[in-house]
Parts: sequence; C-alpha cells; structure tokens
Amino acid sequence: MNNILLIRNLHVAVENGNSKKEIIKGLNLEGHGGEIHLVMGPNGSGKSTLALSIMGHPRYGILDGEIKFENEKINHLSPDERAKRGIFLAFQHPEEVEGVRIIDYLRMLVEKVRKIDRKESYDFVVARAKEVWFREEDLNRYINVGFSGGERKRFEILQAMLLDPKLVILDEPDSGADVDSLSLISLKLREMRESGKGILLITHYGRILQHIEKKRIKVHIMRDGKIVMSGGEELVDRIEKEGFAKIFEECGCNE
Amino acid sequence: MSDLTNQDAKAIIENQIETLKKRNKEPEWMTKLRYKAMKTFFEAPHNDPIIKNPLKFVVKSTEEVYPEIKSLDDLPPEMRSLLDRLGIAEVEKKYVAGIAVQSDTSIVLNEFLKTWREKGLIMESMEDAVRKYPALKDKFMGLFNPAESKLAAYHTAVWNGGVFLHVKSGLKVPVPMHLFFLIQNSAMAQAPHIIIDAEPQSEIHLIEGCTSPVLVRHSLHLDMTEAYIGNDARVKLSVLQNWPEYVHTRPMTRAVVGKNAEFINTTVGLGTGKSNVSNPKYFVQDGGYAELNSIILGQKDFYVDLGGEIHLQGAKSHGLNVSKSVIMDRSHVITRSVIQANAPKTKGHISCDALILSPKANMETYPGLISSVDDSELSHEAAIGKIKEEELFYLMSRGLKEEEATQLIVKGFVDPLLKDIPTEFVIEIRKIIELAVSGGM
Ligand SMILES: Nc1ncnc2c1ncn2[C@@H]1O[C@H](COP(=O)(O)OP(=O)(O)OP(=O)(O)O)[C@@H](O)[C@H]1O
Ligand SMILES: [Mg+2]
Repeated sequence: MNNILLIRNLHVAVENGNSKKEIIKGLNLEGHGGEIHLVMGPNGSGKSTLALSIMGHPRYGILDGEIKFENEKINHLSPDERAKRGIFLAFQHPEEVEGVRIIDYLRMLVEKVRKIDRKESYDFVVARAKEVWFREEDLNRYINVGFSGGERKRFEILQAMLLDPKLVILDEPDSGADVDSLSLISLKLREMRESGKGILLITHYGRILQHIEKKRIKVHIMRDGKIVMSGGEELVDRIEKEGFAKIFEECGCNE
Repeated sequence: MSDLTNQDAKAIIENQIETLKKRNKEPEWMTKLRYKAMKTFFEAPHNDPIIKNPLKFVVKSTEEVYPEIKSLDDLPPEMRSLLDRLGIAEVEKKYVAGIAVQSDTSIVLNEFLKTWREKGLIMESMEDAVRKYPALKDKFMGLFNPAESKLAAYHTAVWNGGVFLHVKSGLKVPVPMHLFFLIQNSAMAQAPHIIIDAEPQSEIHLIEGCTSPVLVRHSLHLDMTEAYIGNDARVKLSVLQNWPEYVHTRPMTRAVVGKNAEFINTTVGLGTGKSNVSNPKYFVQDGGYAELNSIILGQKDFYVDLGGEIHLQGAKSHGLNVSKSVIMDRSHVITRSVIQANAPKTKGHISCDALILSPKANMETYPGLISSVDDSELSHEAAIGKIKEEELFYLMSRGLKEEEATQLIVKGFVDPLLKDIPTEFVIEIRKIIELAVSGGM
C-alpha cells in the first residue's frame, strides 16, 4: 500500500523575531489511506506544531528531515499547493476573518479548488452545511467571527467535507464541542475514513472515537517533539486512566 | 499656464461668469454672488498641502462643443459602457428606480422620477433649480462662506452643474436614487454644486457616482455639497468616486442634521486620483445622528488627506466616524476625524483602520475628540497594520493562492462599510479592489 504521509527525522523550529526554538526534534510517522492515526501527548509537546508544519505554516521552519505526501517530498511547497494536492488541516484555533461571508468564501473554495460550476456551488455548499447543522442564514456570517467553540469545530469539519482531501489532519476537533456535536464529528470522521482518506487526529480524549472501528486506530504518544510510544487503541484508555507522567515513567521515556 | 497673473485670472473668471449668466439665464442674486466670490478669491486664505498655486487651475475656455444628451442612449460609448459595467441598466430594470444622469445642465429623467415628482420629489439640475426656485437663495452657500478659502471662493464664482434634490415633508422614497456626473463641457471648471433639502420626516437615499475617465479635461474637481436634513428625516448619501490618475479632488461637504434626524454619508474612493483633500463638517441637533463612513483605496501616488468634523450641538445627539483605508504602492493617506461635543448627553465614536499592503505606502491618523461639556461619551480607536500572517495562512491552507487570499481579506476589511450600497455596486467595488490588489502584488 502506498504511503499517504511519511515523515522522517523531522526537526522543526519556530521563528520569533530573531530567535529560533526547536520544537519538533526528530519525529517519524507513517500513515496510509483508510487509517486513523491518533497523536496524543501533554500540552506543549508539539502536536499543533507538527500539524502546522505538515500544512506548511511559514513560521515553522524545517531544520532537517522530510515530509512526504504520496511519496513526494513537500518540504518546500506553499500551503495552498499542499492543499491542492489533498492535505487538509482542521485548526485547533481557527482564525476569524472579518468581513468575509462564509457563503462567498465556501463557494470560492469549491469553485477554485474543486472546480465546481458557479451555478451549482451554492446548493452544493448549503446541502453540506446542513449535514453539520449550519442553516442557510448562518452562512451569511463572517468566517468564525463570534462563533462559539463548538461552531468553530463544526465549521472546520464542513470545510474538510467540501474540499474532499486525501489526508485530513484534525487538531483537537473535540475541544469545545458538546456531546451531540462530538458524536456528529465522530460520525463524519468515520465517513471520511471509510471513503479512504488518511486521518491524523490530535486529541486529549478518547470520546471522539465513539463511532470509529477500534481496529483502524493507531495511537502515538508525543513527548517533547518526538513520538515516544506507539500502539493500538488500548493506549487511549491507559492514558485516560494513568496520565502521561506515569506512562512516561514506566517506559523510561523521561531520560 | 502657471504664469497666469491675478489680472489674467480675473479676466478668465469674469468671462466664465458672463457665459454662465447668459447660458443659464440666471437670476440676479446668483450673478451677484458669483462676482462677490470672484473678488474674495484673490484675498481669501489658501491652505492646501498639494495645490500650492490655485491660479494654475484657472483655465481658459475652449470652444469644444458636445452633442446634447437626452437619454441614456445618447451617452458617449465610453460612458455607456461604464454605466453598463456598474450594472446601472440592471438596477433600472430591477427596481424601475430613478437614474438621473447629469450632463452639464440637463438631467435625464426617467419614468420613475416623473411619477415621484408629483408626490413631491424634486431633482433638478442646479442651473434649472436656481432659475425656478427663488427660495434657493437662502440655501445656496448657506453652509459655506466664499471668503473662507480660495477654493470655496473659486467654486462659488464658477460653479456649474450639480443638482438640487428636494424631498417634501413626510415623503419616503423607497429606492435609492442614482446620480451620475457626466461632465463634458470642457469650457468650464469642474465645480458642480449639490443641495439636498430633505424636509421633516422625509426619507431618501442618494447614490452619487463621480466618474468620467475619458471625458475629464480638467485636473481639478471642486464639488460642493450642502445638505439640509429636516427634523426626523432620514437621509443616506453614498458617494462613489473613481477618478483618473491626473485628477485632484477637493470635495467640500457640509450638513445640518435636524432634531432626531439621521444622516448617513458613505464615501467610497476607488480611483487612483492624484490627490484628495477634504474636511466635511456635520452639525447635529438634539437627538440627531450623523454617520460618516469612508473607504479609501490608496494606489500609486495617490495623496489623501481626509478630515471630517462632527459637531454635536444638540442634547443627546450622536456621531460616528469610521474610516477604512487600504494602502498600496507609494500612496499616502492621512485621516483626521474630529468629534466635538457641545451639548449634554452626547455620544461620539471615531474608528480609523488601515491595512498596509506595501512598505512604501504611508498612513497617518489623528483622531480628535473635543468636549465642552462633562457628560458626553467620546471614544476613538485606531489600528494600522499589515495583513495578519495567521489569517493569510488559514485561507491559503484551504487552497487559495496568496493573491486570492489577500483579495478576500481586503474585500472583507471594507465590507462592513458597504452595508448601504446596493449589491450591483458592491460587486463592482469588489472587482475594483481585486484588480488593485493584484496590481499591487
Ligand atoms: N509561534 C510560537 N511562538 C513561540 N512558541 C511556540 C509557538 N508555537 C509553538 N510554540 C511552543 O512550542 C511548544 C509546542 O507547542 P504546540 O502548540 O505544538 O503544543 P501542543 O502539543 O499542541 O499543546 P496543546 O495540547 O496545549 O495544544 C510549546 O512550548 C509552545 O509554547
Ligand atoms: Mg495544540
């Protein structure tokens, strides 16, 4: 099976003014279509940084190593080129874009990126929006402006649905979502996986997995910019019961 | 031309006054006003950051003659296509609304205007109005004094073109009226005079488009607007400007906003003129509300110095001054909004935002709050900055090119101020912004 994502010995530093700070420190990861890879880890361990580097955020510079998408190195591609190839990131903290109406934006996306005809784009967007509980009138609002935490997460899922990428990276799609939204998002993740997409899911809790077949799940634990442990779905329970500190102690990951 | 002496200028202005007097069959009071203004022109103070010598713009008449325009079909092809681009034909079809296209001295009236005239809506060319309505004597230059500046004096002496809009007490006009300036007669200085007289409880929305890329023969545009908003009236004035690169504009605007009346003035400046200096003034009476919104698109070497004074003169009056500037290339934009509270329980807010898209562009903003009472609430906010990296990244991560994402952000930046502008124009404004952003990148 072909790799959808292959990360080898990745080192990433964040640039702030003149100073550079290394955050990802030699990370390896490999994933295929139809798989769900969970990335868990303590706050500040570098999960969001990993997601943003895969998407090509200009502030996160690759010091060493490579990121391959469908066996092609993408280290130097701009974010829009990565998106066009089929990478999608649902942000942990989605940006507000003042003055830009959701409907105009989403139509532009599906027309430009998915080449959907102008005549059809409106109905196309509205129908999918309804699936994740956005009413037609909600689409006249500005992007993320004044959105509740849960609304923002559903809006990220909606964009993933509209763009139909091959690799979906979700950075805490469950944080801020209520019980019903959580179930909805979990169902949508399942649909995406079933359609053959690769999924990289960053989360702190197992609840988001409620509708997902356990055997499809791989779990990676990050600590200080590296993956220190990988395993199956049972790792999620262990983390929830024992906490990271204990796991790190037992595995000798605290060297 | 720069060597014009006062004597030469006087002769030219006199000649123009005489021509206008004859052409318009003006009443005596108007001709007197013109001559008086001509005298003050030479003594009046002059203070303009760009135009050092106003004599340069006193131009001799030429003898070019243009065909008369009776309907939209008679418009020169370039003007027609401009109106088409602005979707004017569409607007008309859709709302059967009023379009008055003005060409020097005549207004092209359509059915809509004829119907509404019977109900009490007057829209006349200023020349006709001056002749027909003696009462205009009190309104014309009622809010300005020719002696206050050389440009005001020059305007008064040679004004031509413009409209008189009168809305009868209680009359509510449900659709926006479109007015386009078609300034063709190159013999005259470009100095249209506009008077809006909205009687108590009336309602109207006037959309003024000043644009004539090919026809403009002069490089100074000196329009003057006087708005009288009666008690409880609601007036919206939306001005769309699209000047060619060589034009200096010096719009002069003043309004008196009556008790519990509302005046919303939105100006969208889209062209790359040479310079634009203005300082509109609004005087608001008890319980009245004045809102001044400006969108400025600074391109190339455009120099913009935009003032804007709201004087809260009556108790509980209210003022809002919002400007949004997008600055590109080597443009230089200055905003100086002032809200002055002179009565109890007044409120005012100034907001100046600027988005800088080029390292060579320049933005200055000086909000001014002045209060002579102790219970007014005045505030201001200002933000000047570049496009946020995170916003750009968010949009690009969805597959939009940097240029497309920037266009979207810039359009979004100005969007909240376009709330009163009809969709057809908003679409055109967005297109102009897209082009400007691409050109600047
Ligand atoms: N732009 C930045 N500027 C400065 N420091 C940063 C920046 N981005 C990330 N960091 C630092 O890098 C480290 C990893 O941050 P990251 O956001 O990737 O953590 P995380 O694993 O996603 O945490 P959480 O679970 O809280 O979301 C943190 O110490 C953080 O402060
Ligand atoms: Mg994070």
